[in-house]
Amino acid sequence: MISGYLITILIIIVIYAMLAHSLNIITGHAGQISLGHAAFFGIGAYTSAMLYTEAGFPFWISIPLAAVVAGIVGALLGIPCLRVRDDFLAITTMGINFVVEAIFLYIPFFGGAMGIGGINLPKWFGREMTKPEYFILILVVFFFLLLLDRRMGHSWIGLAWASIREDEQAAGAMGVDVVRFKVLAFILGSAIAGLAGGFYAHFLTFIMPQNFGFGQSIVVLSMVVFGGIGTRWGPIVGAIILGILPEVSRPIMEYRTLIYGVLLLGMMRFQPGGLLGSGSILSRTLQRLSITYGSKGESR
Amino acid sequence: MKSRGFLFSFFVLAVLFLAGATYGQDIPIGFFAPITGPAAADGASAKNAVELGLKEVNDAGGINGKKINLIIYDDRLNPQEAVAIANKLIEKDKVIGVVSGSYSGPTRVTAPLFQKAGIPMVAGYAVHPDVTWDPKEKKPNDFCFRNGFLGEIEGAAAAEFAVKNLKAKKVSLIFMDNDFGRAISSGFADRAEKLGSKVLTKQMYKFPGEKDFRPYLTRIKEGNPDLIFAAGYYNEAASIVRQAKELGISSKIMGEEGFDSPKFLEISGSSAEGVVIATNLDRDDPRPLVQNFLKNYRKAYNEDADMVGASSYDAFMILVNAVKKAGTDPKSIQKALLETKDYNGLTGKISRFVQGEVVKPVQIQVVKGGKFHRLGVVDNPEVITPPTKQ
Amino acid sequence: MLWQQLANGIAIGSVYALISLGLTMVYGILRILHVAHAGIYALGAYVGLLSFRLVGNFWLSLVVGMAGAAVAGYVVERFLYTPLLHLPRIAPLIVSIGLFTAMEEAFRIVAGPHTLAYNARVGLGDLSIGGFHLTETQILILFVTFAVLIFLWAFLTKTRTGLAMRACAQDPETTSSFGVNVSRIIAINFLIGSAMAGAAGVLIGVYDNQVWPTMGSIPAYKALAIVVLGGLGNIPGTVLASIVVGLAETFFIGVLAIPFPRDAVAFVAMILVLMFKPYGLLGKA
Repeated sequence: MISGYLITILIIIVIYAMLAHSLNIITGHAGQISLGHAAFFGIGAYTSAMLYTEAGFPFWISIPLAAVVAGIVGALLGIPCLRVRDDFLAITTMGINFVVEAIFLYIPFFGGAMGIGGINLPKWFGREMTKPEYFILILVVFFFLLLLDRRMGHSWIGLAWASIREDEQAAGAMGVDVVRFKVLAFILGSAIAGLAGGFYAHFLTFIMPQNFGFGQSIVVLSMVVFGGIGTRWGPIVGAIILGILPEVSRPIMEYRTLIYGVLLLGMMRFQPGGLLGSGSILSRTLQRLSITYGSKGESR
Repeated sequence: MKSRGFLFSFFVLAVLFLAGATYGQDIPIGFFAPITGPAAADGASAKNAVELGLKEVNDAGGINGKKINLIIYDDRLNPQEAVAIANKLIEKDKVIGVVSGSYSGPTRVTAPLFQKAGIPMVAGYAVHPDVTWDPKEKKPNDFCFRNGFLGEIEGAAAAEFAVKNLKAKKVSLIFMDNDFGRAISSGFADRAEKLGSKVLTKQMYKFPGEKDFRPYLTRIKEGNPDLIFAAGYYNEAASIVRQAKELGISSKIMGEEGFDSPKFLEISGSSAEGVVIATNLDRDDPRPLVQNFLKNYRKAYNEDADMVGASSYDAFMILVNAVKKAGTDPKSIQKALLETKDYNGLTGKISRFVQGEVVKPVQIQVVKGGKFHRLGVVDNPEVITPPTKQ
Repeated sequence: MLWQQLANGIAIGSVYALISLGLTMVYGILRILHVAHAGIYALGAYVGLLSFRLVGNFWLSLVVGMAGAAVAGYVVERFLYTPLLHLPRIAPLIVSIGLFTAMEEAFRIVAGPHTLAYNARVGLGDLSIGGFHLTETQILILFVTFAVLIFLWAFLTKTRTGLAMRACAQDPETTSSFGVNVSRIIAINFLIGSAMAGAAGVLIGVYDNQVWPTMGSIPAYKALAIVVLGGLGNIPGTVLASIVVGLAETFFIGVLAIPFPRDAVAFVAMILVLMFKPYGLLGKA
């Protein structure tokens, strides 16, 4: 009997890991800073919530649709966005976040300030899924997403992304269709964020526009950066550590947010590559350890 | 050697057992509030007031000889955290009852969890209807109770007083865009129109954060209403009241429970004079329960109590009272709460609960001489009785 | 009513200008999105309030607030941004966000979560011409903003340091090869920008009679939208954008009465402008 409390934490962490992973596709693979990623999280959550509560769609259909809708919106927004450069793009993504949140808040069709409630866990085998079963479900889905990411990374898509990340202009000069690959990253990143949003809505059973604002975007971005942008496991590690932090630091609850800010500050100031980025203390230590133990068989 | 080791371990076990036993003698009650984060001010108020209540009860010997162990969590106004907290309270801390000192978001998302686990929860001031009502199953969450007013009811009561006592024939509304603001303004507008008044303008502002109300107020001034009904928490309330005075607006200003805070008085200064509010705390209530609370809160925390604190204190006491009557079995506590009749609370006398909502008169206070004083009470059953939903 | 709304719009636009100018100057010279600038704005308000409580004079508290903010800005630049200049720009951005979060929490822990009153009176009295009514604090805001803008203009166009600063913003390498101490110029840039933010903090504190820990949250992102709207790094563009946003917000709410969140107006304006002018109103590639 696993405690419901533990399962709750685990589910939240997996959802965040999925979200951080999706942002990493945009930020890490395509090299674009997105400050408004929570917008897609929200679009997925609302899509799934509304299909479920208003149209009566079962979970198994509303979730994939959440990903599809978020991906489509990502494409629509991504294309004009990419006309804008660098820092302008970063702030434009922030702007999109605000506008999306405002739409959820002000248009009564989306529930407005009251939010949407009554979004239950999925049913299977004639009964409602238990929380541990839900956890296994999203873990399996996430696992498949990671496999997919690995395959893409080894394919020409991954190479194209890597070249864009290293030097956009050079890649373009070499014949890489920069815009096309950036948009692809945008779509993929938003779709997965939408998927995470759908899972989130059914877990929390109730969503409000404020859950998907700029603050949430920063939380996700911090996880990616903390773990290491562009690394495969970095965002996941970031999600785990920053996801557990509120639980572990509950005894010192007065200072939690302060610690969070200082942690972020310190990490970027002294280890900008993140926890798993190249050159970080952790990765260097791991390297040294592997060298020491790797050569154990040879010496003496 | 062996016997000494045996004696020692027996001694340790005995101490642990006694410690555990005495700990087990405590009554675990859960409490959550936004202690850090954007609503830290209200979280602090709620926590302070409930801790005051806790001390009062425990100093007087606790409940039937057992002390209360209040387990406090900070939800940071974040629904995910609230879910984690609820699970912790139910499974790890094994509480027999919970008090919510938080806003609608965290309270609403945890209500179904407490309902499912059969643990009674009393919300101090969270306003969302879904706290006591399950929207999907279309039935009440009968383990969840609310001490505060529903937005619609408070608004309706305010309108009742505004039209009947203050003779307002033309009114303008300004309210925040969250659930409370929308509920209270629609409650006010509906009742006012029913009583024959005209609603000139309805303006909604972004919450939290809006400080500059001059654009809104300048537009309101154009219509020259008899009364402006403003919804906001104390920051917004103070800004609205001050800026209205700055812009030379002469209409009467009426607010709601969000205005009910010494901070509102401090920040608005002299512009608060004459402002009327609908709330649940009557400063001039002669009952010792009220006067002692106000006095003790001031003594303990060096500032005056506000609506958030008073409501949270009351929610705590309602739960404590039920435990006193029914013991520590959550189902019995729930039954006692359901059977509440004419409960003498800090924030008013509760006749009974209707689907978890209070039937309680709405207090009307006015700012006179820089302090809140009683102006009237709305106890028209048509207005204050919560609807019975199907 | 229209005239009154105009006054309201210009007043709030002026405060936006004071905050945004510092941000655009920092971007111009370091290409960093200095989110923590809003934390410095709030710090200015707190420091100003503290000195006002001790001394009781508004003008003194304004100066002290500006000085406190300036020092804070200098510290941030020296110890947090400059060491990270060689890294991809996301690093100083996250540092800034982390710092801003920590500052807001520090304000809450030190000064308490409640709002504090900043009850400064200057004794100017209000001004009324026909239907046009400028309150005392609105006059104050216009006066201070005007003074600051004049000073900035004079500094940037008439002094050598100002000229050096403009050169640095365009091309730091060439400028330093001309013998200009770029590091010193950067420091001065931050000092001036932060001082202006501090002034904005004090003025808003007095305008609303409120100082509270998260007062920097909205300016943090609104100022970003404004500087992008005006053209990142472009000073006249920022002033123009600030007034445009101030007026747009006021007219949306007060005249058109469209229910739309006020803070999103800046972003909508920004996005619309960027579609036609990808570098902002007055910005260049």
